[in-house]
Amino acid sequence: MSFATSAAGLLLVAALLAPLALATACLSRAVRARVPGLLWLAPLPALLAAGLLPTGTAIAFPVPFRMALALDQPGAILLGGAALLWSAAGAYAASYLRGKPGLTGFCVWWLLTLAGSLGVLIVADIAGFYLLFTLASLSAYGLVAHEQTAAARRAGLVYMVLALLGEAFLLFAFVMLAAGQPDPNPLIRDAVAALPGSPMRDGIIALLMLGFALKMGLIPLHVWLPLAHPAAPMPASAVLSGVLVKAGVIGLIRFLPFEAPLPAWGAVLAIAGILTAYGGAALGVAQRRPKTILAYSTVSQMGLVAAILGAGLAVGDASAPGLAAYYGLHHTLVKGGLFLAVGVAFASGGSRRWPLLLLAALLALSLAGLPLTSGALAKLAVKPMLGYGLLSIAVSLAAAGSTMLMLHFIAVMVSETADNPPSSAPPGETLPWLATAAASLLIPWWLYPALSGGALASAWSLPSLWKLVWPMMLGVVVFIAAKRFAGLAGRVPEGDILVLAERQAPRLARLPAAIERLDGQLRLWPAAGIVLLALVIWLGGGFLMAA
Amino acid sequence: MTPAYAATPGGLLLVLAVMLPAAAALVMLVLGPRHTRLVALIALALGLVVALATGLQLVRSQTALIYVLGNWQPPLGIALRADGLSVMMLAVSAVVMAATGLFARELFGLDLATADGRLATSFWILLMGLWSGLNLVFVSQDLFNLYVALELLTFAAVPLVCLDGRGETMAAALRYLMFALLGSMLYLLGAGLLYGAYGTLDIRLIASASHHGPAMAIALALMIPGLLAKAALFPLHLWLPPAHAGAPAAASAVLSALVIKAPVFLILRLVADIAPPGSAAVAGQVLAVLGAASILFCSVMALRQERLKLMIAYSTVAQIGYLFIVFPLAGVGDGTAPWGTIAWTGGALQLTSHALAKAAMFMAAGIVAEAVGHDRIRDLGGFGRVLPLTATTFGLAGLSLMGIPPSGGFIAKCLLLTAAAVGGHLWLALTILVGGLLAGGYVFRVMDRALATPVEPLLLRKPIPLRLEIIPLVLAVLAVALGFLPLEPFGLLQIGRPDSALAVSP
Repeated sequence: MSFATSAAGLLLVAALLAPLALATACLSRAVRARVPGLLWLAPLPALLAAGLLPTGTAIAFPVPFRMALALDQPGAILLGGAALLWSAAGAYAASYLRGKPGLTGFCVWWLLTLAGSLGVLIVADIAGFYLLFTLASLSAYGLVAHEQTAAARRAGLVYMVLALLGEAFLLFAFVMLAAGQPDPNPLIRDAVAALPGSPMRDGIIALLMLGFALKMGLIPLHVWLPLAHPAAPMPASAVLSGVLVKAGVIGLIRFLPFEAPLPAWGAVLAIAGILTAYGGAALGVAQRRPKTILAYSTVSQMGLVAAILGAGLAVGDASAPGLAAYYGLHHTLVKGGLFLAVGVAFASGGSRRWPLLLLAALLALSLAGLPLTSGALAKLAVKPMLGYGLLSIAVSLAAAGSTMLMLHFIAVMVSETADNPPSSAPPGETLPWLATAAASLLIPWWLYPALSGGALASAWSLPSLWKLVWPMMLGVVVFIAAKRFAGLAGRVPEGDILVLAERQAPRLARLPAAIERLDGQLRLWPAAGIVLLALVIWLGGGFLMAA
Repeated sequence: MTPAYAATPGGLLLVLAVMLPAAAALVMLVLGPRHTRLVALIALALGLVVALATGLQLVRSQTALIYVLGNWQPPLGIALRADGLSVMMLAVSAVVMAATGLFARELFGLDLATADGRLATSFWILLMGLWSGLNLVFVSQDLFNLYVALELLTFAAVPLVCLDGRGETMAAALRYLMFALLGSMLYLLGAGLLYGAYGTLDIRLIASASHHGPAMAIALALMIPGLLAKAALFPLHLWLPPAHAGAPAAASAVLSALVIKAPVFLILRLVADIAPPGSAAVAGQVLAVLGAASILFCSVMALRQERLKLMIAYSTVAQIGYLFIVFPLAGVGDGTAPWGTIAWTGGALQLTSHALAKAAMFMAAGIVAEAVGHDRIRDLGGFGRVLPLTATTFGLAGLSLMGIPPSGGFIAKCLLLTAAAVGGHLWLALTILVGGLLAGGYVFRVMDRALATPVEPLLLRKPIPLRLEIIPLVLAVLAVALGFLPLEPFGLLQIGRPDSALAVSP
């Protein structure tokens, strides 16, 4: 990989700078009026870069901008999917939000989040990664809290607190990671190559996992996700759930040393992932709102990605990042498509909604691994790496959970849209959705041979089909046996354990209140005088002892 | 015997830096109220040129600039000396002062009736006095001369607090005056002790004495707490929140950004240049404990404030804490050269970026208060829509305070955190991280209000001209632009260090 300037490298730079330039152009009144219609264009350089550039393309910014960009296989896969969804959701947003208040602000946050979320996929140095990760995290607040309802404000607050906490974990991890390097801002791969031998290895890995797990929404750090994703406007939900969680995935891919086996840490990540996959599905079936169900499904799916990465880390399998990225691409397109589908279906009614719901159902079951869909390909591709032991069965059972959750989603969608007046969604919303759905069904086929190492034909052999079908059948049986979870609907509040934490809030507020009282006392004259004297004595005693 | 100090070329610039504002104040008295503003602005422009020339001269010669007053060598005479750190302080002061001057001109200009009134005239004269005192603190080598500088600073800063003459601000100013006087007394006691023991007040001569007795220990134990009282480090911050929150916006900006940095700078000199290594290590530990407590305690206090200016004032006490945790991180007192470490650079950057960001923030708060008529955070919903530039200023300055990239605050915290991680100071690392989180909390509270869409849109009491909003924005952008500095120890800070005659004498 060379960091010399080249035309290909400049395309990478354009992928990062195009959305930032458009956001800056919003200072001009003329651009401001047109910017919603231009949102779909902003991710196109990234899409071109993902599709056209060979892996290994790299470029370094001139001094004083310390940033280096590089494209590798997992990055390119995620970048392509993310850029596609951003573009489709941008077109959707232009129609969905037309004439609503605060549109310009929304577009600026949109573009900043877009730049950050695509940038983390191609950035190669640590400081640059932290910068873009932070840009994506903080700007997304503008999308979450956009609607300014009480729910959106609460979601925004929870999101912000946990996002900042994640930033703190990561900053400490990155600082320790870079500490042993000759360059104060090393390339990620150089720092990670030295990680297994670092004296602070375990601390660094623990902090990295915490920081990125927060972004991916692994249980119990998922509480913000079922609040934040549904609170945003429809197209923003699609990118939050489809793309932004991938910032955590790429973080694990980039910063964990897959070349060297770390069995204990791999097991921790895999177990956390599997538990999240089950937990997300179990909590999701007790939800009533379609967007919240999808958010819990994202939690569950990210659990599976974490399990894949954990399994790879445990044995030092360098193919794990590519497979996790492939799974991530499938999830990006399908989950984005599903959120857009909810918006389109809500705007449609009468008999016209049936074809829409059918396509939505197809996408939903793709998450569970319906044969011939992208979900099936993703699951088949990762099977060999997971082996045939306990982990493989655990992942299959998670597919049963996904099946239940998605059947629940379809049932809710059918009943929620039953009373809609006969109408159809505007083409500005339908077309981007159809494009996303089509991409999700087609693109994974194209990438499958390169990633799985097997031929496409193996994907529809009978044993492969059986591997996919039995968990789904199990899911259907449980769904029917549990009477479609009718008794559970609404039993678990959105954000589940967060509600328990919020109940403790008054108790937590006692500490700041105590601090405020103490401040009041310290700021009285007698107290300040005593403190001043005490300091003199403390320092004097210390000095005399030291001398 | 070779003289302790040899004057260097460009040494006269140091005298100019101190005398220019003082001369401007005298000219103001002579020319009368009508011309104060013009004189001040000319002096500010010249001051920027002097700071720039000083910096150039320092970089060119790569040694500290020295001026010996009247060619009388210490201990009889007084020497002025500026090394890399001093020149950095001179430059930061000049920039913040110039920005404050322009801001004050626009702010007072909003109301033509009072533009040249008593308040404005006093402001300009006090600003010049303040600046002269600041520059003297940064270049003086003589402990009594430094005492005079500190007093000048206090006596200029106190009236700035109560410029509007309301009872509330008068009380705050008196509180400030009383506590600062206590601090001065302790400092003077310590300086007297040192004079008795060493027969000189020159920092370099005292430091080069072969033997340090208990007098040194007691003197330092008096002087450091005295200076802490003036720097308002927790738990000696009783006077700062009401004083800085009550002052007019332009005055708050210099008070918070610059004035409290002067005693901090002096503590640094006492610990790093005078104290014997053992004492320096002890002082470093104690100061780090207070600094960490300041960061945590006052950040929580900032989070709980209802009023914007009080919040910013508490944030100042918290941010000052970072300067004190530098001591153990830079290894002050363990026999190595602290000024070559990343922690030293981190501290200097924290000081600079806080000066720029805090000045910008206080000015932004002043604009909000001027436009809306109050500064209750709860009722500021939607101020980002009516004052977009001011909200942006607040956000950018907030980035630097929180330590979010790209900003000077980020580089500073990153360097300090690296030093803490490498040196095994886990508790300081955690303090830095938690401090950043809490800062995120209080900045977010305001930004959340800025972005909100209230049912009833916020009404502006009076229109705010673009020129007024631009000035703090420039400062905030500068604070962010510091984030492009490299992540390594600066050469500039090592010029003229250590402060010993050997380094200069041929």
